[in-house]
Amino acid sequence: MPRRLVAIMRKELIHILRDFRSLMIVLLMPVLMIALYGYGITLDMRNIDFAVVDDSHTPESRALIDAFRRNGFFHFAGYAGAASAAEEIFRSRNAKMVLVIPRDFAQALRTGPSVKVQVLVDATDSNVGTYVGTYAANVFRLFNQSQGIVQASLATVEPKILYNPDMKSTHFFVPGLIALLLMLTSALLTSITITREKESGTMEQILVSPIHPVEIIIGKVLPYVLIGMANGALIVVSAMALFGTPVVGSPLLLLVLSVVYIFVALSFGLLISTIAKSQQIAMLMTVMSTILPTFLMSGFLFPIASMPAPLQLVSRALPATYYLVIIRGIMLKGVGISDILPETLALAGIGAGILAIAIKRFKVTLD
Amino acid sequence: MQQILYLVQKEFRQIARDRVMLGLLFVVPLIQIFILGNAVTTDVVDLRLVIHDADDTPMSRQLIESFAHTRYFKLVGREQRGGSTLTGHMDRSEAQLALSIPEGFQRDAVRGRSPALQLMVDGLDGNTAGIALAYAADISRNFQARLLEADPGLARRGAAIRGAEPEARYWYNPNLESKVYIVPGIMAIILVIITVFLTSMGIVREKEIGTLEQLLVTPIRSYQFIAGKIIPFTILGFLEIILAMVFVWLIFDISVAGSIPLLLAESALFLLTTLGLGILISTVAESQQQALFVAWFFMIFAMLLSGFFIPIANMPDAIQTITYANPVRYYLTVLREIYLKGSGPAELWKETASLAAFGVCMFGAAVWRFRRAHG
Repeated sequence: MPRRLVAIMRKELIHILRDFRSLMIVLLMPVLMIALYGYGITLDMRNIDFAVVDDSHTPESRALIDAFRRNGFFHFAGYAGAASAAEEIFRSRNAKMVLVIPRDFAQALRTGPSVKVQVLVDATDSNVGTYVGTYAANVFRLFNQSQGIVQASLATVEPKILYNPDMKSTHFFVPGLIALLLMLTSALLTSITITREKESGTMEQILVSPIHPVEIIIGKVLPYVLIGMANGALIVVSAMALFGTPVVGSPLLLLVLSVVYIFVALSFGLLISTIAKSQQIAMLMTVMSTILPTFLMSGFLFPIASMPAPLQLVSRALPATYYLVIIRGIMLKGVGISDILPETLALAGIGAGILAIAIKRFKVTLD
Repeated sequence: MQQILYLVQKEFRQIARDRVMLGLLFVVPLIQIFILGNAVTTDVVDLRLVIHDADDTPMSRQLIESFAHTRYFKLVGREQRGGSTLTGHMDRSEAQLALSIPEGFQRDAVRGRSPALQLMVDGLDGNTAGIALAYAADISRNFQARLLEADPGLARRGAAIRGAEPEARYWYNPNLESKVYIVPGIMAIILVIITVFLTSMGIVREKEIGTLEQLLVTPIRSYQFIAGKIIPFTILGFLEIILAMVFVWLIFDISVAGSIPLLLAESALFLLTTLGLGILISTVAESQQQALFVAWFFMIFAMLLSGFFIPIANMPDAIQTITYANPVRYYLTVLREIYLKGSGPAELWKETASLAAFGVCMFGAAVWRFRRAHG
């Protein structure tokens, strides 16, 4: 490795190590997040508070209420006087669901073909609405059975859950977190560190020295590749230790492809540093263009298939979208390179494209 | 007063001079709201489904039709008779869901033997898997109900067509659209990004290039300096909120159900906290980079622990307790309740009091530290 390159890398490393506090934040944040979110993150609803308007006052209506209480997804919040109280209940957030059992409930259950029970839902969070609908249907089926009403059916459905039988969100979440944090540290750190030299005027000084711009870029960026890799390794290890998240596939393949992803993120940071004139702007641009989209549009938390078609195109342009398929495939399904070749190529292609533009702009803006 | 005005003027000039900054402040957040409001959706549609039909009878084909004709599933493969290769499709992630209809399905169903349909689902994304199973169960139930209604003779003797059944009414959001819930959340996040980050980095920047020292040796008092920094960002914050509200109304047709002045007043309380945090960070950080990291550190936790998209009720008790120390949690609640339900001060007094307490403490601590560091 040329001496000048090593010198720049050394300088950058000294900068990083001198600022111990920032380094600690960069390295510790992921572990803290894993610890908090491995336990916390799940989008399905539990402990849904429900209130009851019981106009029937019969053993049957109480049995229905009991069925809800025993279900595990619902939590009984109390009785309400009348259905008209629902508005007040929702506004004061005392319950998310109000069950209105009609006066003729018990009688209709015995005689009529069917009896409808109103389930009022505070659906401001649409997710709550979806889940309450599903859970309630289940509770009613169990209730009907317990009342000796045999519901006619032709067939049964036997579900079988593959790859993640307990449907643990943690395993799904950890790869996403790696993608997010690698993007964050790599893109943000490079864009800021280069913009800083521009802001304080030292970039001009380096550029008039005999060092080639490419050497500057590589020298500045390489230490951050190392930080990125250390970060990724820390996350994987702490997820394995805390939650037993498996790495089914080849760790080597995972490492190699992660380096490709880090390279894409760094190139992006570089590109931003050629546009931004101050660190503030570099920060805003990076946060707005990488972190929020990576968080919300890459399939990390929300399925891409549910987005409108034009936005699915946007998510196709995000490196994290491809990296997520790769890392989830390797960690959780144990797939080999042949299964994720298209994603790998896409990732490398995006990276090469961004880097080409960044280097071109870097020369134009500074030479 | 005159001095403060000068400082405010200076700050605005600095922002207005920079076209990139203006774009970032006023255009990018709107793009964010637009894109994220559409993208962040917990609705599950177009799940990729493969079906193996070993029966191939009118009834099995009818069942397949009822799966294919919903917006929840997209039929990506269909096999008849022969050996099943469903697992292969799942391994290659070509399908998220695989339905296997056994041989003799129609015969057994008619004879009341209740044949079992096997449904495999990719459990990696536990949330989507759960919803997919629920949809599938729903479709199969409706399919059977339709057949039974058409020909009650199919039912076993003594079996009822229906018993008690729920009739769901979804208030405030009858079509169960997630953007209604997400959009106010994005507004809160953008507000945090702009106020915390810009204030802290702005002050540290003056420290870095030495203009802070210069200002402090002038007759300007430290409270005037702080006011000069805070007022522009407060105004910016309000502009962002109002701009976002108009935009959300135009694009998503979501308007504020409650009182807009109340919404702005609550925002002012919240800004006390975020601006205070910004100043506080600036007293700790020595470089903009450091300020950025400390601010980022706070923000990521504030965001994840706010109930923005992960419901707080689902978190373990210990973590739920932590969320009470998060001002974003209260602001988000207030924003959503006013926006969607039109709640008033009577219903929101707890959150308002918490926001006020946070604001006063945070801001007080910030001013105190700033005066000690630079006084």
